[in-house]
Amino acid sequence: MTADATPSPVGRTGGPRVRGTAYPGYVAGKLGGAAVSLLAVLVTSFFLFRLIPGDPVKFMTGGRQVSAGQLASYRREFGLDLPLWEQFTDYCGKALTGDLGTSYQFRAPVMDKITEALPNTLLLTGTSFVLYTVIGVLLGTRAAWRNGGLGDRLHTGLALTLYSIPSFWLGLLLIIVFSVGIGPVPGLFPTGGMESGGEEGFAYVLDVAHHLVLPVVTLVAVEYGQTLLITRSALLDEMGGDYLTTARAKGLRDDLVRRRHAVPNALLPTMTLVFINLGRTVAGVILVETVFSWPGLGGLFYQALSVPDLPLVQGLFFVFATAVIVMNTLADLIYPLLDPRVGR
Amino acid sequence: MDRHDQHGTEGTVLRLLAAAGAALMLTAGLATPLDPAPRRAEAKDGEQVLTVAVAQSVDSLSPFLAARLVSTSVHRLMYEYLTNYDPKDNHAVPGLATEWEPSADKLTWTYTIRDDSKWSDGKQATAEDAAWTFNKMMTDEGAATAGGSFVANFEKVTAPSPTELVIELKKPQATMAALDVPIVPRHVWEKVDDFSEFNNDKSFPVVGNGPFILTDYKADSYVRLKSNKSFWRGAPKFDELVFKYYKDGDAAVAALRKGEVSFVSGLTPAQAAALKSRQDIAVNDAPGRRFYALAVNPGARARNGKKFGDGHESLLNQKVRRALFMAVDRRTVVDKVFQGHAVEGEGYIPPRFSAYFWKPADGQRIAYDPAGAARLLDEAGYRKNGDGRRVGKNGRPITYRVLCHATDPQDKAVGKYLQEWWGELGIGVSLDCRDNVSDPWLAGEYDLAFDGWSVNPDPDFVLSIHTCAALPATPKEIGATDNFICDEKYDELYDRQLAEYDAAKRADIVKQMESRLYDTGYMNVMAYPNAVEAYRTDQIASITKMPEAAGNIYGQDGYWSWWSAAPADGGGSSDGAGQTGVIIGIVAGVVVLAGLGAFFAVRRRATAEDRE
Amino acid sequence: MTTTDPDEPMAKAGRRALARQRRRASAVRFWTRYRTHRSGLLGLAALALFTLVALTAPLTVGSDVQSVTNAPGQPMESPSAEFPLGTDQFGRSLLGLVVWGSRVSLLVGLLAAVLSVAIGALIGITAGHFRGWFATVAMRITDWFLVMPTLVLAIVLATVLSRSLGTIVLAIGVTTWPTTARLVRAQTLAVEARPYIERARALGGGHWHVMSRHVLPNVMPLVLAQTTLIISSAILAEATLAFLGLGDPTVVSWGGLLQDAREAGAVSAGKWWYLVPPGVAIAVVALAFTLCGRAVESVLNPRLGVAR
Repeated sequence: MTADATPSPVGRTGGPRVRGTAYPGYVAGKLGGAAVSLLAVLVTSFFLFRLIPGDPVKFMTGGRQVSAGQLASYRREFGLDLPLWEQFTDYCGKALTGDLGTSYQFRAPVMDKITEALPNTLLLTGTSFVLYTVIGVLLGTRAAWRNGGLGDRLHTGLALTLYSIPSFWLGLLLIIVFSVGIGPVPGLFPTGGMESGGEEGFAYVLDVAHHLVLPVVTLVAVEYGQTLLITRSALLDEMGGDYLTTARAKGLRDDLVRRRHAVPNALLPTMTLVFINLGRTVAGVILVETVFSWPGLGGLFYQALSVPDLPLVQGLFFVFATAVIVMNTLADLIYPLLDPRVGR
Repeated sequence: MDRHDQHGTEGTVLRLLAAAGAALMLTAGLATPLDPAPRRAEAKDGEQVLTVAVAQSVDSLSPFLAARLVSTSVHRLMYEYLTNYDPKDNHAVPGLATEWEPSADKLTWTYTIRDDSKWSDGKQATAEDAAWTFNKMMTDEGAATAGGSFVANFEKVTAPSPTELVIELKKPQATMAALDVPIVPRHVWEKVDDFSEFNNDKSFPVVGNGPFILTDYKADSYVRLKSNKSFWRGAPKFDELVFKYYKDGDAAVAALRKGEVSFVSGLTPAQAAALKSRQDIAVNDAPGRRFYALAVNPGARARNGKKFGDGHESLLNQKVRRALFMAVDRRTVVDKVFQGHAVEGEGYIPPRFSAYFWKPADGQRIAYDPAGAARLLDEAGYRKNGDGRRVGKNGRPITYRVLCHATDPQDKAVGKYLQEWWGELGIGVSLDCRDNVSDPWLAGEYDLAFDGWSVNPDPDFVLSIHTCAALPATPKEIGATDNFICDEKYDELYDRQLAEYDAAKRADIVKQMESRLYDTGYMNVMAYPNAVEAYRTDQIASITKMPEAAGNIYGQDGYWSWWSAAPADGGGSSDGAGQTGVIIGIVAGVVVLAGLGAFFAVRRRATAEDRE
Repeated sequence: MTTTDPDEPMAKAGRRALARQRRRASAVRFWTRYRTHRSGLLGLAALALFTLVALTAPLTVGSDVQSVTNAPGQPMESPSAEFPLGTDQFGRSLLGLVVWGSRVSLLVGLLAAVLSVAIGALIGITAGHFRGWFATVAMRITDWFLVMPTLVLAIVLATVLSRSLGTIVLAIGVTTWPTTARLVRAQTLAVEARPYIERARALGGGHWHVMSRHVLPNVMPLVLAQTTLIISSAILAEATLAFLGLGDPTVVSWGGLLQDAREAGAVSAGKWWYLVPPGVAIAVVALAFTLCGRAVESVLNPRLGVAR
């Protein structure tokens, strides 16, 4: 059973218990499941996007006069003249070798477009992920320990509020305040993009970091709440445990009880969900990338969809779904390793 | 986070990641005070850089494939065309060709190619390059993707000498001084195998002979060009030209305010109003090249006579079209939707092209008159039913499907007005907004559609798309037609103007065509939207507009704007505002550092407690 | 509990009354516990306010507020006595539009959540009840939907179908149900393991009877909590899709207003009053539903320890 990623901030904790099962067998099972999911995604991405109205060939010709012969040659070029099932087997065969077809609008291999944009998306999501996980877990632990106290209520309240704010709206407000500048306050950060261009070496790193600040702040603000709430409820769950009472009875200080016993155990479900979240953040980054003109997968996806640039949309959808599957599987695999109740 | 490392290596990894993240934020925080308002157009190693904000993605950097405005604009800068257009009045002026002459039978054109244009790799640009470019487009389908229509009427193209190019035509063609085809260096492009795949974006710099040389390109990030010091017309005044991507218009405007970019186009009325109050920014509100129209589906059909699509039957009635025309208040469209940044629509070609501009005489003019529109509809037999709705011949209330571009705010705004104006008449409007309208459009499955074309100095193209010849040969094919108009009288005029080599006479025929188009009521030109742009006066001292008196800067028919742009001297960002920027930047940096310090202090305290 | 016996109408009526009484008692118990959650009450109050505003909108602002031809003000006026929140690009009152837009945003959020939870509950209950191959297939599909990136899928659906409110409801509903299905299935399995279900079966209760009379009432509280939480994300999703330009452009909604504001260049022109009210409205309503949902969850499962 895989852990659920609830869309609600109140994460349902619960993960696989693999007591008694040999780890290698468990790994094989999980990897097999992931492979099946990947295959299912591959199939869906093919058929789902055939539903999108719009003849790609008509887009490619861009309103120019085209004879029947030319149309046929376009269709041939992109394999659109074949029967659907043949297109499908062709697509699957190529996908297995890493060839996701040729983008209609860029006339370049889909794989190239994706590998071009992927590092940018990973930089943005990776940085945000690390930050919101650290902040979420730290604050969540504090909140749980002071359950019901002012600090808890403040943290939980703030997390819930930020969680309820649309990320694109927050991004726009941040641009107004910190990029455009309000009143006498000048803009401190770039308004969009990833680099000013022309910088090299360390200056380039600084430049990218400078561009990274606002998108990362936006993502962290809307995402950390979930980690905080999950950590908090997991910890509260854990603190009801008998062994904690025992530990306290042994005369251990509260702080130590928390650090040595409660937190490590509560981190298990948290880590599971955190990994699943990472997969989802990659897909959810579309909005932030749009608002901040970040040259990543999200922007590419939106652009591809409006054409519709079927091979590119398919490829991106595949990448997004793969991110979720990989993260889910990773969570499943790491879980037993982290669980102190399972002998290793 | 620092306590669960006892449970495995994952903790260590996470801690490393956390450190990396913290370091990243730290550098970002440090970068802030050091660089509060990054210099852009100012000297960088003594180089003058002009940065232009763009939003449209490059479809291809190969001149044989590119169709989008941003790509063709870059090609104008990279390659010389045979001719160019005068920035004052749009007449054809020398480009790669210095002179051009038709033969007496109008079927052979001879171009003299200049001998002072060199490719950036040092080789001479010759007539041979031009002949090769045209021949490639005539023989290789992949190379005809972008400009095939220019060579469709070509019989033969030869280069008898390095300075002489001869083009033989199948029929006379008046547009031979308006061939918008980039001439590419043969010795470079000969090596390309498949023109339908080659995007010209792998090895830099790209060999060219235009005012700028393409030195770098990163999809949706930037297009970078450096000035061509040996350009025959003289080197551009800026050393470097960068098109930088801002997918979001607001971000582009914010970047302009900060001086991150020197130029932004496509401003909304609100943005233009806000920028006008700035002293260091000039807003250019110029008559545009576009017309913005409401096109009627006149019953889609193919050249073989087959009808297709499902346009509303009532629209075949000229009175109905006229009534719809009368129930659109063009003044309000200009005042409210464009908020004054447009000119009220009249004829088909915008007034900016003064030679071809035509407007209806007083008796011919269809003015806003809702009562008259209602009368016309009654006359045409489309009367109101008990619910106040007009009913069609099939007895059902009329609701027109209006195709609109989901990405165009104007379409959606005018659509709201149409709903209310035509609603008063008893006619329903359902807005069908899509990202990509080409499917229902080409299939003729719409009633009306928002339409707009950028007009070139030579109007042939925008006129040709309303001829019967532009209809698709069969319903399965795609024609060059805009909205399936096919009118004999119009076609006859079209053929006459194409064969007329006398400019004044040709212009007169073009005006007759516009008059005919107006009377049919198929195209309701509502407005000519202005080009609303802005640039920083502390970075650009002067720039040529087209037309020179009052014209646009971005998307010109030529390279005049970027070629002529002169850098302003003095540092734009070292004024008072810049100083405040530095101070506030430092304050912000200190705050960020203090925050980080507090964060680490808390951690250290926690660790210390733990050691007990 | 409510085993029915078709031969004894009198007894049946009596049992029904008893059941009704029990339900009332449990509702009272629920409310007593819910009342102790201050944030839950706050959320409920906010919701009541917004519902009132939405329902009375035809009386307070009227549908005329949408009209562009009769717009009373100038484009993008700043807040004034006449227009407390300023005007939009057509000169319409923003306060009126935000009030009017609440109808669409709340309706879409509600319908999408109901659709999502209905699908989830249906699949969850049937998969939990029938077991065997049906359950396997149903749960495989659920798992598969779970790995689909929700926003991406919703965007695709909204693109495939024509631009209308129905499309948005469908796109959100169809992509968010799997979590509910999983939770409901787990609960169903737990309920069906109880001895009285065995008894009901022995007394001749069919599948429908067991599912509708025993399982459904027991998963209802869970479904209720889930609905409340999903409405919150559905309202955010509606705003997101509208913001990406996938909504119906002729309908006034909060997300649509934000999209209008952005397209009109309000951000860089510094017309903050065009941007702030719709965003605040979205955030407040989403927060209110989340608070209510958490309170309900905490009543049902006190161990979660939601702050009081």
